[in-house]
Amino acid sequence: MIGSPDVVAFTKEDDFGQADPDPWAIPEEFSVPLSPISDSNPWAKTSYAKFTKDFILISEFSEQVGPQPLLTIPEDPKVCGTFDLNYFSLRIMSVDYQASFVGHPPGSGYPRLSFVEDSRVVLGDSKEGAFAYVHHLTLYDLEARGFVRPFCMAYVSADERKIMLQFQELSLRFSQASECLKAGNRRAFAKELQRKLRDLEYTHSVLQREEGLQREAGTQRMYSAHAVEKANELANVEKSIYEHRDLLRQISSYNKRPRRDPQAVSCQRCINECLIECEQLIDKYAKLARPFSYNDKDETGQAVDAGGDEEGDDEGVKRRPSYTPQLIKAKSAKCFDKRLKTLPELCDVTFYDATVTLLKDTEKGFRGDLCYLHTQRLDKALRRKQRVTNFLFEEDLGDDDEEDERGTLRPFCAVNHAVDNYTPLNPPHIVLGTEPLVLDDLEPPGPLNPGHTSEAEPGLVESHLESSPSDPTLETQGSSEGNIGSFSSDKSGLDLAEKQLNRAKSQAADPDCELTNEPDMERESSSEDLETTAGDDDGDGTPVSLLEVVSELEASREDECEGITDGASDILIPLDSACCMAQEGFLYEASPAERAPCVGQSSNSQSPVVNQEPQALLPLQNDYTVGSPGSESPATGLELPVGLLGDAVSRTSLEEGADCTMSASTGSDRAASPLGYGGVVTLRQRKKAGQGALKFVRQYPFAMQALWCLLSGRTLVVLGADEGRVRRLVSALALFVPAPGKCGERVQAWLSCPFTLTDLQRWKLIGLQRVASPVGSSMLYSLSRYSRYISILDVDQKTLRCPPYRGQLLANIADHRTSIRRGSTFFLHLQSTLCEMAAKAFLLTFTHHLHLPVSCTEGPEGVEGRRRCFLQGQLGLGHEDSQILLYLSQLVTQHYLQPATGGSAAATSFTFNYTTSVLYKI
Amino acid sequence: MSSGCPPQSPAVAKSEVAVEGECPLLAATFAYWDNILGPRVRHIWTPKGEQLMFLSDGEVTFLANHTLNGEILRSAECGAVDVKFFVLAEKGVIIVSLIFDGELKGDKNTCALSIILPQTELAFYLPLHTICVERLKHVIRKGRIWMQKGYNIISVLSLEIIPIMELLASMKSHHVPEDIDIKDTVLNDDDIGDSCHEDFLHKAVSSHLQTCGCSIVVGSNPEKVNKIVRTLCLFLTPAERKCSRLCKADSSFKYDTGLFVQGLLKDSTGSFVLPFRQVLYSPYPTTHIDVDINTVKQMPPCHEHTYNQRRYMRSELSALWKTDSEDDIPPETVIHTDETFTPDLNIFQDVMHKDTLVKSFIDEVFMLKPGLSLRSTYLAQFLLLLHRKALTLLKYIEDETQKGKKPFRSLRNLKTDLDLTVEGDLHIVMAFAEKLRAGLHSFVFSKPFYTSMQERDVLMTF
Repeated sequence: MIGSPDVVAFTKEDDFGQADPDPWAIPEEFSVPLSPISDSNPWAKTSYAKFTKDFILISEFSEQVGPQPLLTIPEDPKVCGTFDLNYFSLRIMSVDYQASFVGHPPGSGYPRLSFVEDSRVVLGDSKEGAFAYVHHLTLYDLEARGFVRPFCMAYVSADERKIMLQFQELSLRFSQASECLKAGNRRAFAKELQRKLRDLEYTHSVLQREEGLQREAGTQRMYSAHAVEKANELANVEKSIYEHRDLLRQISSYNKRPRRDPQAVSCQRCINECLIECEQLIDKYAKLARPFSYNDKDETGQAVDAGGDEEGDDEGVKRRPSYTPQLIKAKSAKCFDKRLKTLPELCDVTFYDATVTLLKDTEKGFRGDLCYLHTQRLDKALRRKQRVTNFLFEEDLGDDDEEDERGTLRPFCAVNHAVDNYTPLNPPHIVLGTEPLVLDDLEPPGPLNPGHTSEAEPGLVESHLESSPSDPTLETQGSSEGNIGSFSSDKSGLDLAEKQLNRAKSQAADPDCELTNEPDMERESSSEDLETTAGDDDGDGTPVSLLEVVSELEASREDECEGITDGASDILIPLDSACCMAQEGFLYEASPAERAPCVGQSSNSQSPVVNQEPQALLPLQNDYTVGSPGSESPATGLELPVGLLGDAVSRTSLEEGADCTMSASTGSDRAASPLGYGGVVTLRQRKKAGQGALKFVRQYPFAMQALWCLLSGRTLVVLGADEGRVRRLVSALALFVPAPGKCGERVQAWLSCPFTLTDLQRWKLIGLQRVASPVGSSMLYSLSRYSRYISILDVDQKTLRCPPYRGQLLANIADHRTSIRRGSTFFLHLQSTLCEMAAKAFLLTFTHHLHLPVSCTEGPEGVEGRRRCFLQGQLGLGHEDSQILLYLSQLVTQHYLQPATGGSAAATSFTFNYTTSVLYKI
Repeated sequence: MSSGCPPQSPAVAKSEVAVEGECPLLAATFAYWDNILGPRVRHIWTPKGEQLMFLSDGEVTFLANHTLNGEILRSAECGAVDVKFFVLAEKGVIIVSLIFDGELKGDKNTCALSIILPQTELAFYLPLHTICVERLKHVIRKGRIWMQKGYNIISVLSLEIIPIMELLASMKSHHVPEDIDIKDTVLNDDDIGDSCHEDFLHKAVSSHLQTCGCSIVVGSNPEKVNKIVRTLCLFLTPAERKCSRLCKADSSFKYDTGLFVQGLLKDSTGSFVLPFRQVLYSPYPTTHIDVDINTVKQMPPCHEHTYNQRRYMRSELSALWKTDSEDDIPPETVIHTDETFTPDLNIFQDVMHKDTLVKSFIDEVFMLKPGLSLRSTYLAQFLLLLHRKALTLLKYIEDETQKGKKPFRSLRNLKTDLDLTVEGDLHIVMAFAEKLRAGLHSFVFSKPFYTSMQERDVLMTF
């Protein structure tokens, strides 16, 4: 049991740092260091490695030159630095991992192929600071000793822990690469065997004829020495034929054998195809059982293809170049040409390329520091458990969640068979497993129906603006639906089809995509070919089914190239869901950004949000035009000429607005992903924006106020003349926009035309061009007109007009005195803070007693009071900070109740308050 | 032996170890590189009783020899222990080998201490790999001293091989599942006071997180103990949960170094004796939670713990070095002292640092209705926050110090910038960061040899 908590200090003086005078003291090599190197520098453990970053090494144990490095990924020699690859290859290949397990069955007359499973070893060289995951595999080569060529693929890192913690992921990745290499190798080996058999058969027929001639020429009972030699030679050739035939049988039975490796990843379709191949080869044996069919050849000595009678029926095969058998000196199968094949030759270039691509992906996937990789994976696993709030600030987990749940472990097949075909014999253990999503089980709580929130929050109900046909903005509303394309910059106005085309092009250009995208229809036709040509040979005698995998791959590549030229029509073709990997790149699925117009239009017609502006509020706009109460001169405000133009402008602006509408109608979809130019906003982009956000926080003392506007749902307009500057600022501030949408639909990075009330509902952050033209004046008019709903950040004047914020919640992320140096660090800090806010919003949303009366006598005031008490008492939030949480909670509610439209496509209720805006200046 | 005969192969000694339950370990071996005979196996340990698969002695010997392949090229520094990890699908086994140099009969030899498991246990074993390796590494240190003295290393190695067999067997039967149902934990209670009164739960979770998720839960009621074990495990990663153990209902397991959370049952007298040495050898400081009397105690933070641990190790190895007789293997329970080091037995202290992170989480999570998975979601958000804060802190220090090239001098700024001004919050986040980057505490606090108790003493004198 633990003792008294009383403090018992050390009674002896610390001798730290003093030399031990004791001659009997233990030598350091038998002790442990008191201060390991990691104590003085936790980053130091990798510093003494002679290479700069992790890399993949492929080595071979060559029977001619011994262990030798063949390839590194990445190939840049700088990566390996002064690290001795030759020595390391020697070290990793000297683990004699397989030789002892293979044996020749006693009494077997034929050489046996040893189907050994791959082995995996983690080892290290502590002196060199190099550690490696080594994946050993064996390839077959007819010309090699024992027909085997030992290879290994190693992931070399200076961090041993990184390898061990990710052992299973590495193992799976390298198993995939190994299977790919071996599949190509078996095909190449079978091809080589069949060629050799043809040579032998041809040689056999020649020898047989010669022997026959000699026999006829000689006397009946006398054999010359030459004839005996010929007869022996003939016997050797026959033996060799039987040997090679047996080898062919062995290699074709590869997939029939039971796998001993539970970690091996095999493609079900590949296995099925191989089984078909085996049947074909058995048929082939029957044909080859008449090895002396060359007797039927013509007098010129040209061989007739053994299977020619069958193949002659197949036009497709006729087109293939045929292999001409050659006369060989038949002694032993092992005594042929000793030039060893290169790895691409051994595995077939297509499979080799696929493997290298896979290894490159692996190297990229495991690149970086372990702690970031580890946290990233944990992060993802945890985010999957909180889908109900992810939309607020997290980047999209994507539709590939299931794929991600397998971690980075998506099985890979060289011939791009669908993921579902994969049957890991023993599903790999993913260290960071995930719990099934449980929130979906939640019954939609009754009190949290759409109407409830608004009922429970009278303030919000009152602030909902009602539409009126007399509102002049109604007329311009239509313009807002379509005018962005023409008035926004070109970047944001990419034509939809063009974007799709570009996407298809980029996918085609992507080597990964090239390997993973295969239209299923094409494969279906390939399957048909497989059936019709079953049992046929190509020109060199390899069964078509063996070649099928490669031809499929090549065909898919060609098809992809054609697909690109075919344009968008092709990519819109829905494909068979059986081949999901193949479809990923080609199946066109409208992104939320692209769907937005439809959703927006339909929701706008029904939504309770403002469609017009109350006339009674119009005078307030003039207040804005003359600047804030504190500013004496309008010029100190936003320098908007609205006040000078007066009502005349407001009248003309309507006409201009109408012009906008007309011209906008010919434009493209305005909602098309303004922030990410049509793509999903990625983590990388967000991290990059972190630098801008840090700069903004440091540069603008009123950053906190701007962030509060964004987080509390008040639209922030970033006004400026320089597009680049405005865009940069918008992308930085977009980090703070709650529920920005998958593609940042709620952010308009650059707008060159006046916006309307509907736009304010749709966009929460707008980059607005400051122009001096008449269009510009109408824009400024719209700014002043909607000033009560928006905050304006003028980047040229460095001012901010918005309601005052006195809260504490944002003090930590908007402190201009922060010592955070890097944008990436600031982004991490931001992520933490926003994650905390989302959690509090979740709590507020789903804490029942904050929304429901605890007794039947309690009215809504009681609930409201309890909620206020919770925000102030429990969470310690002031009025402005509470607004943030209430807004976030409102979004969560809406997202939860309407997950289809979510918080991104459909806007929330449009609200405003009567707080006077204040002008902040640097 | 006549001079004309080749040297006789030494017989392989074998020990059969009685292990309760199903032991996933197939065998453990000690092999060395004989300069005449090549790789030789000296000793085999096998568990007695039911096994997942059978390996003959010949196969074990073959595999053990196999581990020394290629080690003729070894160029490690003297005293270094290198780890090799094999997954041999052909044999269906995984082998963990620790390669080291040692003196046998006056010659310097390369030796390998290996454990062999079935390949089907890969997923079970991998999370426990670090625990096994660290424990074996230390026994190898002791074994090397023994070899240097010309004594039999096997007796020393047995001191750790057998407990590791027992550990693996106990983990097989009582490990905490990777996915914990929140219904089996305290977090599913209707009210915070249902099973944890007052501030106990807050203190337990807070201290548990401050000690890097490493805790022992003792009590007389196994159900109560296990409920707290599962609750604490909710705050761990799935891999860490696999390194945690529930308590046995009828009798207690022994304390095992290196597990994250372990439940231990008190004996009939209502006490549980913690082995000082093993607790000190844990990679992280430990929180001690007694569910009978609702007390929470914790060991000093990481940097102090590491320092104390290393001093104790040095002291233990030094004592072994000075041993005169092979029979004098110092028992595990003896606390080693010498003129320069007197270990402090009161390693468990009261939880000193109050936090706001866990406090508000515990307060808030019970506001959510149980049974709707709302609490699981809120827990996931809380853990996400902690992981992100830890990574931010790590990145902050990395930026400030240029990846450790410069000393870290801005702890005050860090606290302000990252909103970690409350000591308890800082310790929790630091503990998370320590697991990501070992040595961070020592680097940041840079006074490893000053214990917090000493500091307290100093302060009390004023």
